[in-house]
Amino acid sequence: MTSSAVGAATPRLRGALSYDERAALLFVAPLAAVLLAVAVFPILYSFYISLFSLKLTRPGRMPFVGLDNYVAVLSDPHFWLAVERTAYFSVLSVAAIAVLALLVALLLNEEFPGRRALGAILLVPWAIPYVANALMWKWIYDSNYGALNGLLYQLDFINSYMVWLGDADKTLPLIANAFVWKEVPLAAILLLVGLKTIPPDLHAAAKVDGANALRRFFHITLPQLTSAFSLVVVYETMMAIRHFDLFFILTEGGPGDASHVVAWRIYVETFRSLSFGTGAAMAYVLALATLALAYAIIRMLARRI
Amino acid sequence: MTAFAPLNRRSFLKTAAAGLSAATVLGRAGRALAAEPINFATWSAAVDTVKSHIGAFEAKTGIKVNYTNSPWAQYRETMITKFIGKAPVDTLWVSDSWLPEWADAGWIAPVDQYKTLVDNSDVDQFCVDSMTYKGKQFGNTYYSDYMAFIYNADMLAKAGIKAPPQTWAEVVDQAKIIKDKGLAQWPVLISMAQESWLIEFMTAMVYSSGGHFTDDKGNAVMQDPANGAGTALRWLVDAVQKHKILSPSCVETGELAILKAFSSGDNAFGLIPKYRLRTLNDPAQSKLAGNAKIALMPKGEKGSNATVGWMRFYGMTPRAQADAQRAADTVKLMEWFGGKADGEYKFQKMLFKDVGSGFGQKSLFNDPEIRAGYAAYGDVDLIGKQQSLARKKDVVTPWFGEWNDVNGTAWQQAIMGKVSVEQALNTSAAKWTELKKQS
Repeated sequence: MTSSAVGAATPRLRGALSYDERAALLFVAPLAAVLLAVAVFPILYSFYISLFSLKLTRPGRMPFVGLDNYVAVLSDPHFWLAVERTAYFSVLSVAAIAVLALLVALLLNEEFPGRRALGAILLVPWAIPYVANALMWKWIYDSNYGALNGLLYQLDFINSYMVWLGDADKTLPLIANAFVWKEVPLAAILLLVGLKTIPPDLHAAAKVDGANALRRFFHITLPQLTSAFSLVVVYETMMAIRHFDLFFILTEGGPGDASHVVAWRIYVETFRSLSFGTGAAMAYVLALATLALAYAIIRMLARRI
Repeated sequence: MTAFAPLNRRSFLKTAAAGLSAATVLGRAGRALAAEPINFATWSAAVDTVKSHIGAFEAKTGIKVNYTNSPWAQYRETMITKFIGKAPVDTLWVSDSWLPEWADAGWIAPVDQYKTLVDNSDVDQFCVDSMTYKGKQFGNTYYSDYMAFIYNADMLAKAGIKAPPQTWAEVVDQAKIIKDKGLAQWPVLISMAQESWLIEFMTAMVYSSGGHFTDDKGNAVMQDPANGAGTALRWLVDAVQKHKILSPSCVETGELAILKAFSSGDNAFGLIPKYRLRTLNDPAQSKLAGNAKIALMPKGEKGSNATVGWMRFYGMTPRAQADAQRAADTVKLMEWFGGKADGEYKFQKMLFKDVGSGFGQKSLFNDPEIRAGYAAYGDVDLIGKQQSLARKKDVVTPWFGEWNDVNGTAWQQAIMGKVSVEQALNTSAAKWTELKKQS
């Protein structure tokens, strides 16, 4: 970079910033411009349209409604039912992911023949795209020809084929199961990294003091894993709250309204009803709630570190 | 050596501006000189057949066609985005379900002024009705079909049943016989899954049971015990919960899954789009080959053999009509596809041969090639008779999409026993009335 190129900056800027700072600004500017265009602008623009009654099927009419879309969303009982289902799905999923990922991480932290091969195999679900994962589980859960019914029938656990996703009481746990299967490997890797950072001396000293494996786990391993756990819980909670793919492919929100979670309602409002104003308002409510929840979880776990 | 004047910033900017202006002017002139092709948009079906028919059209007329297609699942949203973005579209495939929405928005235009497009002398009435909105016709036929009642002749014979059921009550009786004899766990297959087909399955049941969703003025009557949708929904609820002849999984089993399940030969009766009859009788795709037969739709107590028909048609945009030459060329393309090409219904027959698609032209039922095609797997006269009893959906309105989600959810909840039939239909009717008021 020549001094003449940087010298294009205004005299005032030139005075306020050093040469290196101006050069850095110039280098960062293209990326900042791209981020402004593809991230900041859409975020601001989606908030802008959430203040209008914008429906694509009604071109030319876009009245300003202020916060009415937000009021409509928050006063809709169906939205709160969707919030309940989202909370149920998220708690179920994150709890299962945390427990299973911890068990997998503890297993992979031990030395045994085939550990590396097992680690590679356990990563397979993580490598499968979400849509492919959903289609696979749709085939497994199918009540007419699904693999789950076939297996249970052959093992004599059932006398006739069961209804799985079509049973409203089973729908959310079954979708959560598919979500957990996909998410456990990443969570396990994050926890495994946490396990590797625990100094071996701590365990050795505890052993000398006579602590058994269980006491060492609860008094050394778990407390040392708090940072990794908080990362897993925050990340998986955010993933679960916003999750859409499995609901779209496995049930399309059904049966009845059994899997009408918030993400599904946003999709229906925005892309089926083409009500972009209300859809954007709903998406903002979800984003703010996710942000607040993530902040609360981080604060809560940070106090324990 | 030639001496060049030094290039300073001012002279560079002048030269660049002049160059850009010249390029813009020349570009515009170039576009005006080269005739812009007719822009034809479809969903991704029979793509090779469409391309070959376009090739023949271009060779015959010299009119160029710019053909684009996008998946059916995203087609409505894709086209609406194109309309909003003013992307060039002259003619396109349109589903009858979207007609009011697109017509009210001004995205497609009436074609009544083009006499060749509205010559309906050979077109089934439900097809004409399906292309008509507020008294104006918005296109010509692409393809049409209807929901058919199909039975497994082999299973009925094994059960000692001599003829397929004539009424929905007989469907229950025969299904119970089949179930009692251990021939099928779930003798009846009807899809009630939340997907775009759901309204067709519901409406076929409602029409054949003698009911309606709306009256002639477009008011909700689905909740009316005398003329509404209650008889049909009650039958479904009883079939699942009381008689156990229809699997509770019907709420998660889509149209394609129904086809696969019926192909296995493990069921006796199915509501299935008629064009699937060919697949069901194809030994390479179905264990039921040779035994999948069509019967007239069973009647309800006050019902008839009516069923629901659907229609896809060639629509025309205001953009195409804005220019006389473009309009004339677009009409020619629409005639070539939706009407006759070289004096015969060429494209309709190509589609029939390729995928077994139905058609809206009555005379095709007498065409030797079509009759020979149908004879391989169906009773062509019965197929034609059932088509003559098909009616358009009575819920196609600008608010159809929004209502359809609520209605589908309500029906599923009733089938699962979460709400009563009356509650489900009242919910559906209330949403209809609310949306009608808002429109």
